[in-house]
Amino acid sequence: MTHRTVVNCETGQITQVEYTAEEQAAYDAAVAAQASAEAQTESPVVEVTNG
Amino acid sequence: MAVTIDGSASVTINSGAVLGITSGTAVASTSGTSIDFTSIPSWVKRITVMLNGVSTNGTSNIQVQLGDSGGIETTSYSSVVSRIGSTGASNTTSTAGFLINNAITAAGTFFGVVQITLFDSATNTWSCFGTSNSADAANSGCLFNGSKATSATLDRVRITTANGTDTFDAGSINILYE
Repeated sequence: MTHRTVVNCETGQITQVEYTAEEQAAYDAAVAAQASAEAQTESPVVEVTNG
Repeated sequence: MAVTIDGSASVTINSGAVLGITSGTAVASTSGTSIDFTSIPSWVKRITVMLNGVSTNGTSNIQVQLGDSGGIETTSYSSVVSRIGSTGASNTTSTAGFLINNAITAAGTFFGVVQITLFDSATNTWSCFGTSNSADAANSGCLFNGSKATSATLDRVRITTANGTDTFDAGSINILYE
């Protein structure tokens, strides 16, 4: 699971908080969208000429 | 009545505010997508965020976001970061957070100081400025500033990336508040 680090300034306690299922789903969707966008950017350009 | 301050302990005043600068706890920025400093006292008027050799696994810009009891706020920022280096200058703006870096590389580690000051307590408006380096091949530096009004009294700050998915993989972060 993905997590965030939380530092409580009152106590000095440092904890790692795992994403909720909802946050993890949003994270996975964002990563997939980025991968898709990068794949499209990296696709070779095919030049078509007539004649 | 004489009051003696011998420096052996912090001094508080009636509102609970601590005189002087209070240091947070330095935390390793070696994992996770964000680092939150929470339970910042309500009397705070200036927060300094310090980044020491911080790196992520991607190229998304680093940003600082403010929050209150309702959570971290991700809209209505006025933010601009200017990157200046041997390859020229470039500006990037954002409404999702205070950008503190611009066009970083995944392999780069960087250092920076972000100062967030209370502009108007009546509207919870905070101003931000600071500097960082990009630690890239062009050895660029970044200057940034911005403004943001939180919906309630600030009690937390978040350091994360603009895309929210890159993961921290090196360095450490701490804050001071006063």
